Amino acid sequence: MAAMSLKERFWNRFTGKDTDMTPVGSTTTYGVMALMKKCGYERPAADTDPVAMTELALAGPAYAGFEWVKAMGWDITAISEVMGCTLGTPKIDLQYFIKAHPYAESIDGLSFPKDFAKRGRFPAYKEHFRLLKEKVGDKMVIFGESEGAFTCAANLVGTEQYMKWCMKEPQKVEKVLEVTKEAAIAAADFAFENGADYYVFAEPTSGPALLSPRIYKKFVLPVEQEIFKRIKGPGVLHVCANTDPIIELMCDTGAVGISIEEKADMKKAVELAHKKGVKVFGNVSTAVTLFQGTPEQAYEESRQALENGTDFLCPGCGIAPNSPLENLLQLKKARDDYFGA
Amino acid sequence: MGNEGMREKLLKELSEGVVEYDEERVKKASNEVLDKGLNVYDAVMNGLAAGMEKVGALYDQQEYFVPELLMCADALYAGLDILKPHIRLEDLGDKPKGQVVIGTVQGDVHDIGKNIIKMMFEVAGFTVHDLGRDVPLEKFVEEQLRTDAEIVALSAMMTTTMMGMKKVVEMIKEKNPNVAIMLGGAPVTRDTAGLFGADGYAESAGNAVQEAIKMISRLREMQQK
Repeated sequence: MAAMSLKERFWNRFTGKDTDMTPVGSTTTYGVMALMKKCGYERPAADTDPVAMTELALAGPAYAGFEWVKAMGWDITAISEVMGCTLGTPKIDLQYFIKAHPYAESIDGLSFPKDFAKRGRFPAYKEHFRLLKEKVGDKMVIFGESEGAFTCAANLVGTEQYMKWCMKEPQKVEKVLEVTKEAAIAAADFAFENGADYYVFAEPTSGPALLSPRIYKKFVLPVEQEIFKRIKGPGVLHVCANTDPIIELMCDTGAVGISIEEKADMKKAVELAHKKGVKVFGNVSTAVTLFQGTPEQAYEESRQALENGTDFLCPGCGIAPNSPLENLLQLKKARDDYFGA
Repeated sequence: MGNEGMREKLLKELSEGVVEYDEERVKKASNEVLDKGLNVYDAVMNGLAAGMEKVGALYDQQEYFVPELLMCADALYAGLDILKPHIRLEDLGDKPKGQVVIGTVQGDVHDIGKNIIKMMFEVAGFTVHDLGRDVPLEKFVEEQLRTDAEIVALSAMMTTTMMGMKKVVEMIKEKNPNVAIMLGGAPVTRDTAGLFGADGYAESAGNAVQEAIKMISRLREMQQK
């Protein structure tokens, strides 16, 4: 098959059509210092300034060989910020993080703000999308990303408290999710209206490192199903840790694709997901291999992910800021070798 | 019912109350322990702590997850709040006791795993010095020197903050090579812990419970020698 354009390669794979080879890139954050140095735009400016954010986004394809582009910055706190969470101060090697939970004492007064997209960093994202579209045109796929409804809910009331509510106060769990669900839909639709081709919800707090599959099924699944049904474009669900026990549930959310870590079994995930028509992104280890490993290890793990049938060769999670560029480049190298490109 | 029969019954109530995260049941049994004048330390160790060990095993078997652990912890603390003030020094006998300095390193605000492992140390009779979360690195060294704690337990949930643990290990080992340091948190692996010069490692919140138990046993063995 003749070499495809990057957009065609991604889109064909995403929609189940033939491709010349497996697309390679990142469907999670890539706020990596080596990329900042290359493009000359660093965090924390790249967390809020539309120009810096756009240039760092483009550094992924320009210097790491990624075949699609991430929009909306380098952390997963944007919705929580709009909903009232206090954030910690980002640094060049530290992304925004949740510092305080505004509804820890009481959830009275928690509601979805009608002017959602005018708050927090969303106005900056709007300009960033305009710049990104201007530069990318139709050459590559662009995706937006934020935290999902469950992770946002835990941020609002405190993760520990929210976990306990899952056991003893289900009505409170649902009440918060009702609001964060609307926020998640608004964030995704904002991205689609401004040029995103697909949208990723990162749900670290809903993973089996914390929740049982039973609780996932009870609280997370119905909400995700509604979200993916209602958003105006295709969605991808990223969950951290060993997601083996919830792969089928993740596939039942209505997401077009799921993104998994190296702790999960890629081969089995692909088998289960493909039966349900769902695509799988992943799963080169970020905390171990890309961050602390050698280029040889990164290459081998990339080859293994391809061997195991990943639909999109990606890091398994957000790439650590201090990861060496040489390691990131191994993904494309392994993919090209694998397909004899 | 004889004293031994009563003891057995209440230990079972305490243990099962913790496993089934039934705070009221634990409180009731704890009060009964006091009313009947039973050995309070025995009730804590062989009732509450024994229950928590079962909880750790259930977590390992993926029967329990973090929400369940947190609920069990609440039940455990409900019992500890009642019983702990009544533990008499002579009840402790020659049981080895130790001190632990624990905290989540600078820049990191994730503390669920840290709080769970803190609880395990507490039920095992250790004195815990909890520095909280987002703890400046040098504070771990200062606190270890101030308390002469045998264990320092560090947690980090992010790749950016885990590097801070390496510095803490170096700083502590330089001042006092005999301190046992354990690391935990999502990005940390056994290899990393080894590379950073730590003595122990916990893979996740639940494994931390198990690792804590193991470290306590190891320390007890060491101290009994």
